[in-house]
Amino acid sequence: MSVQGKALARKPRKKMGIDRKRSLEAYIFLIPWLIGICVFFAYPIFTSIRLSFSKITSFKGLITEWVGLTNYEYIFFYDINFVPTFLQVVLDTLLNTPLCIVFSLVIAILINRKMVGRGFFRTAFFIPVLLGSGYIMKQLLGMGADGTTITTGIMVPRLIADLLGVSITEVVQGFLDRITVVLWKSGVQIVLFLAGLQGISGSLYEAAKVDGATEWEMFWKITLPMITPIILMNIVYTIVAFFTDGTNPMVDYIYKMNFTNQMYESAAAMSWIYFIFALVLCGAAILLMRRHVYDSGSKN
Amino acid sequence: MSTVTAKGGGRKSKAARIAKTFSLRLGFYFLLCALSFIFLYPFITMIVKSLMTDDDLYNITVKWLPSQATWSNYDIAFRRMRFKAYVWNNVIVCGVATLGHILSCSLTGYAFARYRFRLKNFLFALVILMMIVPVQVIIFPLYKQYSDWGWLNTKNILSFLPLVVPTFFGMGLNGGFFIFLFRQFFMGLPYEMEEAARVDGCGPIRTYARIMLPMAQAPLLVCSVLSLVWHWNDYFEPGVYITAPAYRMLPSVLPNLYALLNQENHTMIQVNELEGIVFNEAMLMAATFLCILPILIAYLILQRRFMEGVERSGLTGM
Repeated sequence: MSVQGKALARKPRKKMGIDRKRSLEAYIFLIPWLIGICVFFAYPIFTSIRLSFSKITSFKGLITEWVGLTNYEYIFFYDINFVPTFLQVVLDTLLNTPLCIVFSLVIAILINRKMVGRGFFRTAFFIPVLLGSGYIMKQLLGMGADGTTITTGIMVPRLIADLLGVSITEVVQGFLDRITVVLWKSGVQIVLFLAGLQGISGSLYEAAKVDGATEWEMFWKITLPMITPIILMNIVYTIVAFFTDGTNPMVDYIYKMNFTNQMYESAAAMSWIYFIFALVLCGAAILLMRRHVYDSGSKN
Repeated sequence: MSTVTAKGGGRKSKAARIAKTFSLRLGFYFLLCALSFIFLYPFITMIVKSLMTDDDLYNITVKWLPSQATWSNYDIAFRRMRFKAYVWNNVIVCGVATLGHILSCSLTGYAFARYRFRLKNFLFALVILMMIVPVQVIIFPLYKQYSDWGWLNTKNILSFLPLVVPTFFGMGLNGGFFIFLFRQFFMGLPYEMEEAARVDGCGPIRTYARIMLPMAQAPLLVCSVLSLVWHWNDYFEPGVYITAPAYRMLPSVLPNLYALLNQENHTMIQVNELEGIVFNEAMLMAATFLCILPILIAYLILQRRFMEGVERSGLTGM
């Protein structure tokens, strides 16, 4: 090859070399995670999918036999608990997620103002996270497996209950209970919203104020559009948190199927139905929100 | 509109305005206090109940203030749940797991934020999938896997392996979330630092360890606090993997205590080790409070910096 040709070829070739080198560096950084995702994630998922379509013939080495959709048939048509529990969880998620988002946004906006006792309120709203994900919360919420209640939610005061009558009080009480539960689970969402609100440039509000906008208008025209990415993130987080939560009856049931009833194949099938629903819900949220999400123009 | 009224009675409207802002402010604080009461409600109930005597518990007129505070509940709960023994298990597991998350997730997040490589989008989709797949879905295969490796029923300190090892590989409790957190943060940093380091002949790993990581204090703090809290409260995985009583974690002791209480429908239960002492709801609440006390103290110390950390970590700048 002539000298000239070499000189011409050098530039693109060298650039590719750099790219490849950088790519290699990236993979060095990723080694631990790549090992982890194969061993602790991909392989168990593969096993779980395989299990849901088969029957275990021998536990040693987990030898299985392909049975097609039998397990799925079983959980839908023979298991009397699965469908009602599943529907309950679906309903709960669909009701709780919007409530959670709205309430945590309102609370975040309230405690984002300059005021006396800001530190106290911020701590107060984060306390449920500390109590949070564990058994403690499950018991305090009165959702213990055997139905014992240590603490019931906020009650409708007796006087008001007398005025409203039984049926209305029940509805109000149900709503209050739901809100209480939802509020206790929105600690992380509030923190994320707070961080998002801090990120909105103050000059936008100043400009709006100069133009004579009221606070109400500023909320709809500035705060809400600017915070849409976090709303989306929180929706996904909330759905996932509700789904993986220990207080969730479906999770409990899958656990029981696995370790009490030892019906591993059906449990695997259940997990997949359950997971696919979570995925569909998150996907739907992302698709619905996508066109409304504010893009600051920063390139990923 | 305002100009007309202002001319008519300037002083009066000013007073009205002050009254209006004052009442608005009052309403605002009222709303906040009401909301924070709901948030603190389980917490307050827990503390109040834990101080009650047996008589107070069954006296319906005593709802909030115990007639006299008794600290002996804490003493009994402390001994009953073998707090001293179990708290170290918790400290060890949470400490090591948090360390694992900090190391592995920051590394992975950095690679995703700063490098372009083949299959990047696919691999990042896997991170998102990690966040969405609940551990309950894959718990049985994981259990089987650990059992095949001889990590279960070891009856020594190795019992903690299934809880701790995955965190060093970026997995474990909410590993995907932490990777995402670090990625978001590193994406927001300027490239000049790394370029300068590269020009000066600094290798990629040293650049990461000496330049990028020290700048990442905000997400490191957020990751530590959340990982610590989540591991501390988690009872699902420890409940599945750890069977030896000596290596139980604090939150997985609680279900036993609750079961103990429910057994005889909130009536007298003789506790063998503490002869003649009735285990009641107050002691249960004391035990529950003791369970979260260390993490509560840790949070109260780190609270201000944690909040700042969340704000600075760029998590919200999708």
